[in-house]
Amino acid sequence: MDRRSFLQSTAAATALVAARHAFAADALKVAVMIPQSGPAGLFGPSTQACAELAAETINARGGILGRRIEPMFGDAGLAPAEASQAALRLWKGAGAQVVLGMHDSAVRGALVGLFKAQLPYFYTPVYEGGECARGTYVNGETPQQQLAPVIPWIAAERKPKKWYMIGNDYVWGRSTNAAAKGFIEKTGAQVVGDEYLPFTADNFDSSLARIRDSGADAVLVSLVGGASVTFNKAFASFGLTEKALRLGTLIEENTLAGIGAANARNLYSSAGYFANIATPAAQAFAEAYAKRFGAQAPALNGLAESAYEGFLMLEAVAKKAGSLDVAKLDAACEGASYKGPRGSVTMRARHVEQDIYVADVGDKGFRVVKTFPHVASGQICKA
Amino acid sequence: MASSRAVDAAPLLLAAALVALPLLSNDFVAYQIALFLVYGIATQGVALCWGRLGFLPLGHALFFGLGAYLAGGMLKAAQDHAAWFLALPLALLLPAALAYAVARLVFARSLRSGPYFSLITLATTMLGFLAAQQWSAVTGGFNGMANVPDLPGTERFGSLYWLIAAVAVASTAGLGLLLRRPLGVLWSAVAQNEDRLQLFGYATDRIKAGAYALSALLAALAGALFAVHQGIVTPQAVGFVLSTEFVIWAAVGGKASPLGALLGAVLVGYASAELRERFASWEVLVGLLFMAVVRFLPDGVAGLGAPWLERKRQQAPEPLPTRDADATAAARPALSLAFDGVETGQGGVKILDGLSLHVEGPGIRCIIGPNGAGKTSAFNVMTGRLPLRAGRIVLDGDDIGGHAAWRVARRGVGRKLQIPSVFTGLTVQQNLSVALWGRGLGGTAWVSLAPQGRRSALQDELLARFPALREQLHIPAGRLSQGHRQALEFIMTVSPEPRLLLLDEPCAGLSPAETHHMIDVIRTAVQRIGAAGLLIEHDISAVAAMGGEVFVLHQGRLLAQGSLADVQADPAVRAVYAGGHK
Amino acid sequence: MDAGTLLHALNVAYALATLALTTLGLAVVFGLLGVMNMAHGEFVMIGTYAVVTVQQWGWPLATAFPLALLTCAALGYAVERWLIRPLYQRPFDTLLATWALAMLLRKLVEAVYGKGYRNVESDLGAPLSFWGTQYPAYRLALIVLAIVLMVGLALWYRRSAAGLRVRAMTGNPVLAQALGIDTRRLASQAFVVGVVLAGAAGVLLAPLVRIEPGIGIDYLLDAFFVLVVGGLGTLGGFAGGVGVIGGSQAVVSSLFGQTSGYAVVLILAILFLWLKPDGLFARR
Repeated sequence: MDRRSFLQSTAAATALVAARHAFAADALKVAVMIPQSGPAGLFGPSTQACAELAAETINARGGILGRRIEPMFGDAGLAPAEASQAALRLWKGAGAQVVLGMHDSAVRGALVGLFKAQLPYFYTPVYEGGECARGTYVNGETPQQQLAPVIPWIAAERKPKKWYMIGNDYVWGRSTNAAAKGFIEKTGAQVVGDEYLPFTADNFDSSLARIRDSGADAVLVSLVGGASVTFNKAFASFGLTEKALRLGTLIEENTLAGIGAANARNLYSSAGYFANIATPAAQAFAEAYAKRFGAQAPALNGLAESAYEGFLMLEAVAKKAGSLDVAKLDAACEGASYKGPRGSVTMRARHVEQDIYVADVGDKGFRVVKTFPHVASGQICKA
Repeated sequence: MASSRAVDAAPLLLAAALVALPLLSNDFVAYQIALFLVYGIATQGVALCWGRLGFLPLGHALFFGLGAYLAGGMLKAAQDHAAWFLALPLALLLPAALAYAVARLVFARSLRSGPYFSLITLATTMLGFLAAQQWSAVTGGFNGMANVPDLPGTERFGSLYWLIAAVAVASTAGLGLLLRRPLGVLWSAVAQNEDRLQLFGYATDRIKAGAYALSALLAALAGALFAVHQGIVTPQAVGFVLSTEFVIWAAVGGKASPLGALLGAVLVGYASAELRERFASWEVLVGLLFMAVVRFLPDGVAGLGAPWLERKRQQAPEPLPTRDADATAAARPALSLAFDGVETGQGGVKILDGLSLHVEGPGIRCIIGPNGAGKTSAFNVMTGRLPLRAGRIVLDGDDIGGHAAWRVARRGVGRKLQIPSVFTGLTVQQNLSVALWGRGLGGTAWVSLAPQGRRSALQDELLARFPALREQLHIPAGRLSQGHRQALEFIMTVSPEPRLLLLDEPCAGLSPAETHHMIDVIRTAVQRIGAAGLLIEHDISAVAAMGGEVFVLHQGRLLAQGSLADVQADPAVRAVYAGGHK
Repeated sequence: MDAGTLLHALNVAYALATLALTTLGLAVVFGLLGVMNMAHGEFVMIGTYAVVTVQQWGWPLATAFPLALLTCAALGYAVERWLIRPLYQRPFDTLLATWALAMLLRKLVEAVYGKGYRNVESDLGAPLSFWGTQYPAYRLALIVLAIVLMVGLALWYRRSAAGLRVRAMTGNPVLAQALGIDTRRLASQAFVVGVVLAGAAGVLLAPLVRIEPGIGIDYLLDAFFVLVVGGLGTLGGFAGGVGVIGGSQAVVSSLFGQTSGYAVVLILAILFLWLKPDGLFARR
């Protein structure tokens, strides 16, 4: 089923479900900024699906503070200035009162500057840490979470001596690699390379030659979307799969599908969620998703699922604060918690403490090989 | 004057519409429209270069983005040190200076640089994009330069709209004004016949560079407003996509009209932003629209109204006041021209093979010779159209070999071309004016109304000799018959009162009676201005009527010279050249 | 030669080969017909999407070739007939009209396939081990193919009867017509060949590059720069242009990173456009 008809049927189904409940007050318009184009466009459909599922699930239990959630989608896959305009249209033009964002950090920076804490902004995906603006609540995994326990574990399991770091040339890529450097060196290994490429790069030949030349036996991949896919495919086609293990903090199901399981041997992914986590909560969620969207649904992945978590966090914090006013939310958010597909999640310093899973790749896709419970986000934001 | 009044109304109508807008809708819509007004100002810059001067800047966002980054950075710095406010005009002037430099460098190389110039602007804008992304310390890199503060005294979602609207009206009015002044006429002349314009002594590369700098100034101004309006400047403001959109809006709205370009940006741009998310096929429609406009409607939507405007202009021919031009130069030193072993060629073929001739003092000489002798080429090598491979050309003791056409023209050389070449889109009167202004208008005269109707005494005398031409002063020169075109070009060539006249078959295509008349006029005119003349002719009776010395050229060399009788008696000439009659 | 250097050399060869493949079509259209086809990159893009399409339909990958060829040929014929032919003597208008076409094609593909990235799964990426290094077999095949194609085209142009007719037409169209050469049909055929070559390059590169509607502009600019630097109409010029542009980009990229590599190409192109617009080996 192609994307457009899928979305149309989803919209129809949502309308049907929503009509079944009578709600107290007017609807709560939530602007949901997702990447519908650009390098992260792969995540658009799945994220939209999770956001809609979240809205329906929460509406089924009475909505947020008695109000029915009405999600409105905007394209955050454009450049920051254009994405700002899209958000502005939803805010000032369509009357959104809460914003949920699943997009890259550059757009986040623009939106934080646009909203200036005039409305609550929930930012949900994996990111580089450091966001402490008022009115902004962050669900996503941070490099500290994804790497602090994982790199030592890999060091113990596989004992790599030389790490090569490669990333996209922007704040997430650079911050992730910078954080990793410290963890790597603490395990006694050496960082032999550190390079950054533009989003649009699709020729990694010289980088791969350098990786080979450096004798690295582990590669930290901080690339995004299409670049990650092309790099990992080329990595395998140059015969480097057995020579060096790969660790990525943003390799989810869609990216893996693009890479191909055969090319992803000896590759580890560290994230807060995988579609096939075996916990009861995660499995229930996966079943609800499959039931709602059918067999042709876009593949469930960590980034999309983070939007679901974002809605749960919104519900939890709003309930604790008793209002949607930013000052009250800021005051109440510390310690707010909920139980969702990822397990138990608690907000600390406007970030979250959550479980981290490490997966490698088998014939059928990801296989979770290690779980680290309740990992702190490593962020210190004053309230 | 009817036509001027009709066009003057445009900025007023625009102002009225922009005032009404926030009253009829709401502040948010006004905010969004303001963004496209800003883009529209930059689009007007593109339309100026493309629609008026005939070259297409494909990378105009470079100046837009430069203006945005510079203004954004300065405003941010001004929050700490108010002195930075004084630096704001630099945000407009630096991009303009850059534009001038680039255009001068490129256009000075060749007249045919048009498409290459477009590609160069495209490449520079991509370089700018790369620089904006990489130089994160200054520009903020991919994330952009955020938190640009409001301009003091304005509020981003409120009063800023009025400032932007005012600037849009001002730029539309200003451009409209310029286009109706001599400068605007000159710009159109550049687009229509740059070659001819150079022969009047205009340094066309500087004219184009100046216009490009003006368009860059507009783009930078728009960029500065953009930075304030959005509060964030990202590399996309410098990029290829935005440059493309400027071109599309200019094309659809109307590249010949400032109001058209502005409206193109506002209507097409705003509609795209609104409808893009609702209909996936909207952008396909815009693509189709662009293609249709390029193929069928070269002047855009505004161009649909142009024939109506032209009719109005013709219905009310303005009675033009004539004024005596400056007193003709009194006694002028005798002209001396020498060709000394001149060789030239093209594409591996040698055309002039050691041509040497000498001309002293006023009076007409004729140049005759069989086809391919190199007569026109002698003129071409003198006015820079053919390369000087060997030898020297000395005018009044100065070596002018290899000089650009306009430099040679400024030394008092006037040339009439073999195929009559005028500015086909301008009226006869405007053609005459352009020729006259080449002698040098004062700086501000270029933007005043006065010079438009002026004719020199000499022009009036010559027009009296061609009454049919005098009746058609307001007809576009492209509609003249061959004979009238010859006459017009001759009058234009003589208007700046050059000291050396190069006339290339001025009687081509004329009947015997017209030829006789033309010869008479030529002789009188040359005497009147005390010039020396070199006349290339095939018709021996015309040569005889002219009198004076005759040069015979053959195979790129001087074969014989002397009076017509001497030359006709020369056995070498007889052997080579059977003189023809009309 | 040690394995590291061999790998680097192969990488450079691959970069040059892909550049040559994607530029060949424009060399025919711009070099022979003088048409500045700003939609050239979009034909390459269409070739890549042909592969995406056959994969979506579940057909074998090889069927992408005839699909791309047919689509490009049909498009090329229509474009030459109705858009380019009326504008042959006006390079500016051709530039604009083909740019409008490029935009239209891009938006059409966006509307049908969406703006996001696509990927072609293929098992052609298997590495081949030799001489101490490992290199994907598919890329080796591409390098060889590029060389064969260039030599083949050059031979055809210089030796065949059709090539002679084309040379006559570009040298002196009026005389060629007077001699009975149907220049209009020949021009149409040449244009179609040019865009088909572009589409074929897209099909070949699909498993290796990122696929999205906006990739056309990169191929277009690279191709233009190659032709500007190398000069039009000769194989020597073409090879020279590929060598200078591709080589400098590869070398600078491996030393200073990809962005610097691209910046150097842009600067070189600007310099040539300004100072030597006829290129290194112009047809003169």
